[in-house]
Amino acid sequence: MVERSFDVVIVGSGAGGGTVAKELAPLCREGVRIAVLEWGPKLKEEEFTGREAEMAEKLYFDNGGFLTRDRAMTLAFARAYGGSTVVYTGTSLPLPEEVLSRWGVPGLEHADLQRRSEKYLTENNVHLLDEDRINDNNRLFLEACRKLGYRVEQFPVNVKGCRGSGLCNLGCPNAAKQGTHRVQLPAAEAAGVEVITNCKVERIGGRECVVTVTNPPFGEPSRWPQGRYRIRTRAIVVAAGAVNSPALLLRSRLPVRLPALGRYFTAHPALILVGEHDRPITNFYGHPKSYYCDHFVESAKFLLETCMYFPFTTAKNLIGFGAEHAEMMARMDRMQMILVLAVDPALAENRVTVDSAGDPVVCYRFTDEVLDALVESQRVAARIFFAAGCRRVHAPAGTSFFIGADEAHRLEELINREAFKLGKVSISSAHLMGGCRMGTDPATSVTDAWGQVHGVPWLFVADASLFPMCSEINPYITIMALADRVAERVRMRLPELPAA
Amino acid sequence: MCVAGCIVPAAADLDAEGRSRFIAIVGKALSDRPRSIQRQFGLFLGLMRWLALLRFGAPFDRLSPANQDVMLRWLLDAPLAKLRGGFWGLRALAFMGYYGQTEVWPSLRYTPSFNGNELLYG
Repeated sequence: MVERSFDVVIVGSGAGGGTVAKELAPLCREGVRIAVLEWGPKLKEEEFTGREAEMAEKLYFDNGGFLTRDRAMTLAFARAYGGSTVVYTGTSLPLPEEVLSRWGVPGLEHADLQRRSEKYLTENNVHLLDEDRINDNNRLFLEACRKLGYRVEQFPVNVKGCRGSGLCNLGCPNAAKQGTHRVQLPAAEAAGVEVITNCKVERIGGRECVVTVTNPPFGEPSRWPQGRYRIRTRAIVVAAGAVNSPALLLRSRLPVRLPALGRYFTAHPALILVGEHDRPITNFYGHPKSYYCDHFVESAKFLLETCMYFPFTTAKNLIGFGAEHAEMMARMDRMQMILVLAVDPALAENRVTVDSAGDPVVCYRFTDEVLDALVESQRVAARIFFAAGCRRVHAPAGTSFFIGADEAHRLEELINREAFKLGKVSISSAHLMGGCRMGTDPATSVTDAWGQVHGVPWLFVADASLFPMCSEINPYITIMALADRVAERVRMRLPELPAA
Repeated sequence: MCVAGCIVPAAADLDAEGRSRFIAIVGKALSDRPRSIQRQFGLFLGLMRWLALLRFGAPFDRLSPANQDVMLRWLLDAPLAKLRGGFWGLRALAFMGYYGQTEVWPSLRYTPSFNGNELLYG
């Protein structure tokens, strides 16, 4: 095994790891050696092809369909230089003050988080798209929500030179999305941080970790030769995402007992809903996600967002098969799409564990409240589709494949809980949170409010696994703001930590 | 391909190249999955064969199209979540094999472009 040593090792290069790397990078001038270990590859620009199956394989764990233990939900999370910031739509919202109050983490103040969030809104070029850049799929959602009296807002997005490919979730082929792969990581590398791609961290033990470098048949080769390495370090920052961070810590030999590790996992379980117009609309050209409706978050625990997905993802999310399914799929140019996301509770039993091989297993139980929210959200989405002019809609909890506009007055009856069966419905999640939650009590949390693991002064966490509850909005800016705090704490603590 | 044709009727009309692409996509997706999932999927296919035999007296691929449809609709809404989940996996693979082929996208009127804004606004 090859031996290496650094002062700081950061595991993961997404919103959390990329941010920590860039914030610590100025220390390189003082001789501090920093490495980022990223499991995924750094793709060449020409490898962003926009082809669904190919990009899913290159960028996502389990092709974007990582299954929960009971197979009732698929989780989408990326492995790549830039992590999941390569594949999100760039939507960038700071955490609402009332959500932070619900989190109730002593020492985590709204003013502090807001200040840090604003830094990344600027750094990553977050802004509202001009009205003339909005396609029909988004505009119709906006107009229908307004007609129905639902509160609707525009998403700020982090793009620069967006050419409207609509392929954000497959990695922008025009290098427009300003994720950490475009902003923080290049800046960190320029300042002297080493980013080692295709590098899987097997375990952490003491102030060292064991990793394996294996190059896949795509992307740039890792800067380290293939093989196994033991890396000694003064501090480790784990930022591998809400599935892999708890899994890595669970399969590691840590000097403390952490009963909350892996627990309180939340996911914003989501459904893709489709309405059909009687004429083509513009939907797959232009930015896919321009508006959201948070009108029902407090009262019914769900959020609605515009979206536009690709053929396989769309087909998988429609219920059923055969002729009627094919009929709907044959007119993708007439589809209007809405993503509904449930605000799910943080339960100790919803957790990440590891199997005998050390691989992550996600146990997730849907509560009645979450299932009710997902059913009610389909009725609301159907009202929006019909108000937007759709001739018929498809709802996973529908008693028939299509619900026609002439049946719009019977939505309570036609969309119901009995028809909504787990295992039958495609429920997915791309907002994975919790598992290493912040708090003060080591019995119910894993880190303090600055991301330091309880009782382990050299070990930190800096990603969405820190969230003590779900964020109720898209999480990326909040991850970056928290990672900024973690970097500050690492900078402060580093002089006290013994050499590797 | 027999089940795939029931799930995506157009899959039955794929030419030889389309069928090869279908098989390659599905094969790759399965081989990338954890061994436990591959095993469970194999078990589900075996179970499907037996269920068809028990219910209709013949294996699935020898049933009439109408009975194949009845069988798959029963699995879609099966009383056991594990059976529904197994069918969900089968369905997802069939959709991936067909809709994952960029060659079929124009027939869906799905024609993405890297320069979508130009097509939106000229």
